[in-house]
Amino acid sequence: MTARADLLTTAPGPGLRARARRGRLGIVAALVFVGILALLVVGSRTGDVVPLSTENSRAAGTRAVAQILRDHGVEVRQVDRLGQARVDDPSATTVVIANPYLLTPSQLDSVVRYPGDVVLLGSSDESLAALGVDAREAPVLLPRTVDAACADPDASAAGTAVVSDWGLVATGDSAELCFLDGDVAAFARATSAGRTVTVIASTPLVTNAQLDREGHAALAIRALGRHPDVVWYVADGFDASLLATPGSGGGEAPTEVEATPDLLPPGTGSALYALALTALVAAFWRARRFGALVAEPLPVVVRASEATRGRARLYRRARATGRSAASLRAAAALRMGRRIGVPRSEDRATLVNAIARAAGRPAQDVDRMLYGPAPADDAALLTLISELDALESEVHRP
Amino acid sequence: MHITGWTVALAALGVVPATLTQSRGVAFGWVLAVIALALLDAWLAPPTAAVGVRRDTPASVRLTQTTRTSLLVANLGRRRIRGAVRDAWQPSAGAGDARHRFSLARGETATFRTPMTPTRRGDRHAGAVTIRTDGPLRLAGRQRSLEAPARLRVLPEFASRRHLPSRLRRLREIDGRTAVQLKGAGSEFDSLRDYVIGDDVRAIDWRGTARRGEVVVRTYRPERDRRVVVVLDCARLSAARVGDAPRLDASIEASLLLAALASRAGDRVQATAFDRVEQARAASSGPALMTELAEALATVEASLVEPDWPALVRLVGSRVSQRSLVVLLTTVDTSALDSGLIEAVAALQRHHQVLVGSVEDPELGAMIADRADADALYGAGAAARALLEREAVATRLRQLGAEVVLALPDDLAPAVCDRYLALKAAGRL
Repeated sequence: MTARADLLTTAPGPGLRARARRGRLGIVAALVFVGILALLVVGSRTGDVVPLSTENSRAAGTRAVAQILRDHGVEVRQVDRLGQARVDDPSATTVVIANPYLLTPSQLDSVVRYPGDVVLLGSSDESLAALGVDAREAPVLLPRTVDAACADPDASAAGTAVVSDWGLVATGDSAELCFLDGDVAAFARATSAGRTVTVIASTPLVTNAQLDREGHAALAIRALGRHPDVVWYVADGFDASLLATPGSGGGEAPTEVEATPDLLPPGTGSALYALALTALVAAFWRARRFGALVAEPLPVVVRASEATRGRARLYRRARATGRSAASLRAAAALRMGRRIGVPRSEDRATLVNAIARAAGRPAQDVDRMLYGPAPADDAALLTLISELDALESEVHRP
Repeated sequence: MHITGWTVALAALGVVPATLTQSRGVAFGWVLAVIALALLDAWLAPPTAAVGVRRDTPASVRLTQTTRTSLLVANLGRRRIRGAVRDAWQPSAGAGDARHRFSLARGETATFRTPMTPTRRGDRHAGAVTIRTDGPLRLAGRQRSLEAPARLRVLPEFASRRHLPSRLRRLREIDGRTAVQLKGAGSEFDSLRDYVIGDDVRAIDWRGTARRGEVVVRTYRPERDRRVVVVLDCARLSAARVGDAPRLDASIEASLLLAALASRAGDRVQATAFDRVEQARAASSGPALMTELAEALATVEASLVEPDWPALVRLVGSRVSQRSLVVLLTTVDTSALDSGLIEAVAALQRHHQVLVGSVEDPELGAMIADRADADALYGAGAAARALLEREAVATRLRQLGAEVVLALPDDLAPAVCDRYLALKAAGRL
């Protein structure tokens, strides 16, 4: 049995309070961080910027007209999805649809089936045709102020209005077109099957920016405030839900269409979800280290030949053929002299003669190789080095 | 706290109820329940403080050899403890599988051995011992690390000891103690013996011949009890790598082989590693020398400073008073011109015999012989220039009377020893 005294154990960890005291700064920092994060999240909730939305107080919004309608006792309710409209009494409700060109065909069908009054802010050929307004849309190049010039009471009351952006051109006679600039109208109204469809094609009329010009306010309030309830929907192209039509199909109509991949067996989604959670658990399992890494103090790694290689690069950049050749000649002479026993202190002629004798070559040849002019370029350097190599191999031949 | 693979497996089982009920809520709830269970298990696990450990590490091991460090684990608590320990070491300590599982009843101990094959010379330090205890459900447990300092000294490899037998044989030949009939070389008078035909007539001792009436000759033997001072330069230039190892490692090999040889030859060896100040020293006599030298040189590392040669001359002067062989294991290159090496050698040579050993770089040889392309020619030129400069310095040192040995890393140790034997045979020590 081993004595307990020489065994090392982990010291009991500090208590919660001690840990909190030690990590006070960290806790404060974390709290501050969370606070800043919360502030940022709250602060970043900028106002509604959707054009024609009743919550939008900017130039392109319609908050002003909604405010005025509310002041006149009209209940204005904006819905994010068409399916949330849930109109209880179509005869006392105006459904306002902004940007109808973004409605899906099925949404448009649901609007057509809806029995109550509808106001379109903006237009599209499909929606006009579906709702029985004999007109097509046409662009307006220059805004112009025009008179109502029609029999519609709302338009007459408004007097004048600006035709801008988009207008309507009549294709039949089912609709009453007002504020005509040439043959392009800013406003149209058609009554069919007991309901009125009003089209304000020049949408800038009802925006905050232009509501106070000409007779826009009168026109908007009269056109939109016919009933005590207004349901306001801005189409955005992402919403696929349908307008509920009370009475059709015994009350509640389908409000949402959800795409379900029916290729996969049921429960696949939740199984994948469970697997994803398992992957998180597995990540924690693998990420928890069995103790810390141990640091290794590494030595300096410098190769001894670095300096020589640096010098080689300098020679190359300067194309120092002469210097390279001189070094190689001297080194070759040193090696050959050592081989045939000529000490370094001997003069040039002695060394040349000794090498010439050993290699069996003329002395002038050897003298030119060892002491001749410096080569001018790479090719000459290569030739000289090959000659030196050949000479050296002859001298070193056993 | 840690979790085991069983927790993951249990979480993965949540796929079954999730698929059957087709509800994400069920999947989420299942995983939450598993995590809660794991937390409970970790809370129920025995505290890590109930595990006691002790490291038993061998004092030293030679580089490339394998040793084993042992870790004793004891259960100091009241319950049975299942868990694992990790015996962490530096990567260069070459510890093998350092994780050990254990299951200990109350009061029981277990010893785990971790094989170690160090890959670097010097002191290798242990990291923390990490203890994991498993909970009763094996889902999770506690984990803590504790510092259990331990050190393994890795001695130099001394790969050159394979050269020792042949050098010892040569030493005996010089000594005249060999079975082969060879005359002992050297300069120290040994004894008189009868002349036999074949003896050098110059060795006849005429005074003894006259006294004895028979022709007798003197025999000689090499000097004994000479002093050898090995100086390892561990400054800037020793840090450069030649092949795989720094120059210093080749110097260490050379000093070990020379120390082994010279102490067998009856000389007194002392060694010092020096850059600006003395880094290590060994000066024992007899068989203790080699152990002391290996221990001392094990932790010497090259430092990036200029060597202080005048200080070394003073150091050698203070260590030895009589004429000695001073072996300088350093680097001979152009920097010797202004670093003061030449002046130091000149100063030492006045009182001692100096032997300068330097490691050559095989890469320079390869560069000189490289003819691959035009760029290689410039490389050859630069390498030739470096070679000439070194040769010039070596010549200058030889002119001062010093012996210069330039050799490739693996050849330095035997080359230095050969030069030592030659000096000894010539009686120049």
